Amino acid sequence: MRLEDLILFVVLPAMALAMVLTFVRLVRGPSLPDRVIALDLMGTLGMGMIAAYAIAHNLPVLLDVAIVLALLSFLGTIAFARYLEQRGGP
Amino acid sequence: MREIISGILVLTGALFSLMAGVVILRMPDLYTRMSATTKATTLGVGSILLAVAIYFGELGIAARALAAVAFVLLTAPVAAHMIGRAAYFVGVPLWEETVVDELRGHYDLQTHELESVCFPELELQLPGLQVGRLRIPDRTPVAGKTLAEIELRQRYDVTVLAVCRGTYTIPNPDGDVRLLPGDELILIGPPERMDDAAEALKAGG
Repeated sequence: MRLEDLILFVVLPAMALAMVLTFVRLVRGPSLPDRVIALDLMGTLGMGMIAAYAIAHNLPVLLDVAIVLALLSFLGTIAFARYLEQRGGP
Repeated sequence: MREIISGILVLTGALFSLMAGVVILRMPDLYTRMSATTKATTLGVGSILLAVAIYFGELGIAARALAAVAFVLLTAPVAAHMIGRAAYFVGVPLWEETVVDELRGHYDLQTHELESVCFPELELQLPGLQVGRLRIPDRTPVAGKTLAEIELRQRYDVTVLAVCRGTYTIPNPDGDVRLLPGDELILIGPPERMDDAAEALKAGG
């Protein structure tokens, strides 16, 4: 099995399944911090998917996209945490 | 050879990512979910990025991939800590079967400061009295006795205001409340007698 096939037929579907499971948690909650960590996890999973896609299609430029996504996801989570602490109440 | 190594790494990464997805759905409360998912994704995404570095095998790409790994390793714990801290302050409940919450009572929920005294302003208003908390050690003859049996009030002029047990508190406990190892007693009494009472509780009444 070639590496491209492994990524396209095993790795990316597994990560997409993880993304769906995380999305269920995002919808269900129950509290706002639960949704925030689900969103954070989706950002990190997206970063992993982009990196895997970069290998499968031989596109190393996509690595920069993954780095930017990680940066945005981190800043978003920090902003949410600050907001939660200021606002109070779950 | 490079393909085989990066294939194994990508597969490991996918496995850990899938595990994170299952865990965030199945774990019972926010804190357990968070602890499992941050570890799983750091390892998962880290190994996928490592696979990128090995697969392309060029210095520029490998450097960027390793920088991304370092970034994830640095930021994931920071983000998790900030969310966990905020969640604890806003009162996201712990799992009902949680055994011990060591932060309970040690955080000032208004100023968000860590401190060990429960009611500093109360002591100022009551000169000659001290409020303190005392943990029942694991191996002590006191554990298993009731409050009436250990006679703190009669022998030391010390009153038990509350018993903190795990995630819940017994306020104004009756004499028939039985003490368990790990319970925390909130006591009020004259400072010099408080020390005697603490010694007696540790030594076994």
